[in-house]
Amino acid sequence: MANFFPKWTNWLPLKLVICVGAIVTVIVGGLTYYFTPKYTRVGYEPTQPVPFSHVIHVQQLGMDCRYCHSFVEVASHSNVPTTQTCMSCHTQIKADSPKLAAVRESWKTGQPVNWVRIHKVPDYTYFNHAVHVNRGVSCYSCHGAINEMKVVYQHEPQSMSWCLDCHRAPENHLRPPSEVYNMAWKPASAQAQHEIGMKFKEEWEVNPPVTCGGCHR
Amino acid sequence: MKRNFHHPKPEKNPRIWRSLRELENDPQFEKHLEQEFPRGADLYQDSGLSKRDFIKLMGASIALAGVGLTGCRRPDSFIVPFTKGVEYTIPGKFLYYATSMPARYGAVPLIATTSDGRPTKLEGNPLHPFSNGGTDSFAQAEILNLYDPHRSKEITEKGQASDAAAFDAFVSSIAAGDGKGLAILAEPQSSPTRNRLRAALATKFPDMLWAEYDPLAATPAEEAAAASFGPNVRLVPNFSRADIVVAIDSDFLNPIETGIGYAQGFAARRNPDQKGAPMNRLYVVENHYTVTGGMADHRLRLKVSEMGEFARQLGLALAKASGNAGLAAVANAVPASQASFDSKWVEECAADLAKNGSRSIIVAGPLTPAPIQVLVNAINSALGNIGATLTALKTDAPASASIGDLAKAIEAGKVKSLFILGGNPAHNAPAELGFAKLLEKVSDTVHLGLFEDETAKACRWHVPAAHFLEAWGDVRTFDGTYTSVQPMILPLWGGRSELEILNALNGAPAPVGPALVQATFTQVANTTDPAAWNAFLRDGFQPNSAFAPVQVTLNADSAAALAKTSVTKSDGLELVFLQSSSVDDGRYANNSWLLETPDFVTKVTWDNAILVSPATAKKLGIKANNFNVLGDIAEKMGNDVNYDLLADIVEISDGKTTIEAAAIVAPGHADDSLSIALGYGRKEVSALMDGVGFDAYPLRRSNCMRTVGGVTCKVTDRDYPLAQTQEHKSMEGRDLVREGTIERYSKDNAFAQSMGMDSHIPPNISLYTHPELTSKEQWGMTVDLNTCTGCNACVVACQAENNVPVVGKDQVRKNRDMAWIRLDRYFAGEANDPEMLTQAVMCQHCENAPCETVCPVNATVHSEDGLNLMAYNRCIGTRYCANNCPWKVRRFNYFDYNQRPLDELYWGPLAKKGMADSLKMAKNPNVTVRMRGVMEKCTFCIQRIEEAKISRLVEAGPTPASETPIAAFKVACQQACPNDSLIFGNIADPKSAVSQSRKSQRAYEMFKYLNVTPRVLYLARIRNPNPKMPGADLVGMANGSGHHGAHGEGHDAHDSHNAQPPHGDAHAAPAAH
Repeated sequence: MANFFPKWTNWLPLKLVICVGAIVTVIVGGLTYYFTPKYTRVGYEPTQPVPFSHVIHVQQLGMDCRYCHSFVEVASHSNVPTTQTCMSCHTQIKADSPKLAAVRESWKTGQPVNWVRIHKVPDYTYFNHAVHVNRGVSCYSCHGAINEMKVVYQHEPQSMSWCLDCHRAPENHLRPPSEVYNMAWKPASAQAQHEIGMKFKEEWEVNPPVTCGGCHR
Repeated sequence: MKRNFHHPKPEKNPRIWRSLRELENDPQFEKHLEQEFPRGADLYQDSGLSKRDFIKLMGASIALAGVGLTGCRRPDSFIVPFTKGVEYTIPGKFLYYATSMPARYGAVPLIATTSDGRPTKLEGNPLHPFSNGGTDSFAQAEILNLYDPHRSKEITEKGQASDAAAFDAFVSSIAAGDGKGLAILAEPQSSPTRNRLRAALATKFPDMLWAEYDPLAATPAEEAAAASFGPNVRLVPNFSRADIVVAIDSDFLNPIETGIGYAQGFAARRNPDQKGAPMNRLYVVENHYTVTGGMADHRLRLKVSEMGEFARQLGLALAKASGNAGLAAVANAVPASQASFDSKWVEECAADLAKNGSRSIIVAGPLTPAPIQVLVNAINSALGNIGATLTALKTDAPASASIGDLAKAIEAGKVKSLFILGGNPAHNAPAELGFAKLLEKVSDTVHLGLFEDETAKACRWHVPAAHFLEAWGDVRTFDGTYTSVQPMILPLWGGRSELEILNALNGAPAPVGPALVQATFTQVANTTDPAAWNAFLRDGFQPNSAFAPVQVTLNADSAAALAKTSVTKSDGLELVFLQSSSVDDGRYANNSWLLETPDFVTKVTWDNAILVSPATAKKLGIKANNFNVLGDIAEKMGNDVNYDLLADIVEISDGKTTIEAAAIVAPGHADDSLSIALGYGRKEVSALMDGVGFDAYPLRRSNCMRTVGGVTCKVTDRDYPLAQTQEHKSMEGRDLVREGTIERYSKDNAFAQSMGMDSHIPPNISLYTHPELTSKEQWGMTVDLNTCTGCNACVVACQAENNVPVVGKDQVRKNRDMAWIRLDRYFAGEANDPEMLTQAVMCQHCENAPCETVCPVNATVHSEDGLNLMAYNRCIGTRYCANNCPWKVRRFNYFDYNQRPLDELYWGPLAKKGMADSLKMAKNPNVTVRMRGVMEKCTFCIQRIEEAKISRLVEAGPTPASETPIAAFKVACQQACPNDSLIFGNIADPKSAVSQSRKSQRAYEMFKYLNVTPRVLYLARIRNPNPKMPGADLVGMANGSGHHGAHGEGHDAHDSHNAQPPHGDAHAAPAAH
């Protein structure tokens, strides 16, 4: 019987197994990487030009979020404070601290401080801070316990499914309006949160959009 | 040894720009690239980074980054706050300021939207007394003009880069001189501050020559008004009082010709349901179809050179009827000439006018020769319209020399230094002056302009002008209302304003902020109260500052003397010069938004063309190729589909000069007449203009600014491809636009709802489940075809609001234009003299949307408030939705039009990528800039809807949402519409305007038999013909008579169930039989 298959085909099955194995590994590796919180940057903690600590300002000094993020209640964008805001205190307090050199430099030259962006939704997604904080969604829900962060890092994945989890069941996150900026507020239990949330959801007619147009324009 | 490595720098300012987005040559783009490198890397570049340092740095950063996978992650981006807070500025929130756009007829009052200090959108100012809150297409496109990366950016002397110090020294030397030989050529403009500075300059330099020129200025109208009523008299119409309107060679309903506010009141009188005010009647006499002609109840197509004879006969008939001696004297003064029109038309029109006495208006166009205008004035006067429907105002315009006077002074060597403040006379001055050559005779010439155009090249100095959104100014609107021109941004490229130059010529120090305008305001408003100034800026105008009305009577002697000079020869072929719908007189030659906006009637983009009537085309041998294109395509199927609409190139000559242009056949055009839009065909001056259109200025002389007679037309054997948007979007003659006469409407209010298939379809049942429409707001729109003229304002407004890209002529020829709202233009009737109808079509937001059922990835879905949504980030580009859309309103991004140069679209990844920084500034930050491969379409301005909903929720805070009403807002097209033809709102609220309009008996759905339940309804057009007029039986018959009349298409709701479908419906599915 003639040889139907040349000799080199003897190794073909093994080669195929290795190749397919390699491809599968790459795909699985890629998926594991891109579809996990690592890719969504949970824990992303870049070094900022100024070692600003929320622990000192919020936890120890008791400053309100809105002292610096002053437009969060009216605008889509929650502003990062101007150099002027920093300097309104720091001309008197720690006026010579080397940690604040970049702020003083900015004040002197008029060149802004380039803060590294941590939380970023894609360009085709339009998030609005004002509508959330005015309707019982706390800073805590999306940013975590900022008051305990010496260096700010990303606490939540802020992916679309994460957004939708809350938009579909806001009762798990709604708070009394007085506690929106209170980072220390905790419901007694999950059950208590659910009850409070349901109450507000009905009283205020909270009906977050789950259609595309709510966020994508 | 340390070595610095520098990338080669791109050439800074290439002379000729080939594409809009040749932005890599922009130094800003380099910066953009640099940002993608690790932060700090560029710091080392200047200090000299050795290879060793570099490797250390790289090693360190890799180590710091941990696994090293950060390289795959998105790059760092930064939040950059202000160093000092800016007053009123809230990052992410729009600020609105009142301003206005100066124009040749006055101004367009505007509200500018600024986003973080950048103006991104202009809208009409609804508070202004001489505006109804609309805009024209030009005002909408000014945002692109402001950010155009091709604007001139530096002062040049003799073509070489110079600087501000050298130019200032030059101006100072003129200011310090005796003013001998100083001349200024400006564009006519009613700016009180300019008049004040001009008066000061005239006092300082009594020998100064001040000339004004604009190729489309209404100089004949002013001349005629002076002869009829005395100097500086202007007639302002009040169309809300007019029952009969006669337009002679006038496109008065088009805001680009007459300005916003001029025709206000007309649309309200078109409403057949209005109580107490009967529907008006519009007679139009014109040579080519204009938007006004499309609105006409009776339209006479007539050569422009026969308009004089028409006016004469009308005048004589009315003089006879009224016994008015003044009118008889003026009408008899006009020399008689032959006429080709039906004299019954004139007689019946005159009889209608005589019957309605002082409740009529006769308007003539801005370029209509003065002898005809004087006759029109006499007719209005004899009918008693002056003071009734026309208010005479006393203007404050100081007398100026003409460009002809200036040319004579230059010839005589009397001009040593000439300041050309705006305008482009080297291109558009009357041809016999040879203005570009003339400029060589003046030693010091200065050109102030936005672009380095023909005049800039012919002048010693060129100074970049500040855009009106960059400099302080003021202006009077047509009625004289004192209006502010407030800057929104500092000059992007150091431009100067006209006022600053005049101020410097006066030898005064440079003004600080609004000082010049504020000084004028103090005089005009007669107050130094800062509160008054602030109110002026806030509202954008000074209340009660309009010109005072005056009593005027016709001066029959001087009027007759002017009328006698009428040249009424109408032999042979004439060529008529038109204002372009896209480039005006050529000033928007670099504005791609406007260039891609189709002409009102021809629907040609990117080019102009000679318009010719079907009969004359046949006579001259011009082939009407563009009508047969489908046949051509079918023939070529299998090989290569030919998208080209090839037009014949013709040579037009007046005996001395010859121009070439492509000719297209225009239904409804007057015979033996040719029309061409001005401002095209410019060479080597514009990024976009190279090889675009044909220049008609060489044939235009001082004595024939409107039309040149006795031309010859020779058809060459060459072709020219044109890009027309209408032929590819034909709706195949189904009853999409519906119209009827007022008589039919009074007999059968609901006639529009029973046309075509609509009267005999059974109740529709859908196979699909309907989306749940649970929201309290349900958005919908109504388009009133009775008042929509088709003026393009909405089209450009949509483009500005929604970041709609421009695709270029080649792509338009492949049907890939991206406009979200289009104006379909239909002709009805016989090709030589048809009726014209216009219909705005945008996404209809069908409740049963056919596009949604075919999308394989759910990228287009329905919202609970009735919007058909488009999620760009889900779209994979199958284009099934566009195929399944009955309206063909979906647009696909075949290329990355925003990022790639239009002439490199087919280069794939080899094409340059990126967008000029200045163009990025023009984008609406609340709308996604779409990329290649995704579908897009009208969203009903969802960004505005969501903004309104969010502000309601913010305001509601911890209270029930439904207790706070949603704030009023308008969508972009609705806001821009000068006639309020687009009505948008909540159809679930029975009190809203849109709900009211949906109840109208004129309201109908397009394609009702498809059972898609569109959210856009159309209100049928009603025409108001005069039964005695010739051709009255053909008016309002686009859909047939409805009573089995001669036109055959009629379909009565009650008895025609067994009839054959009318031919108009032959394409439709026989749903009901």
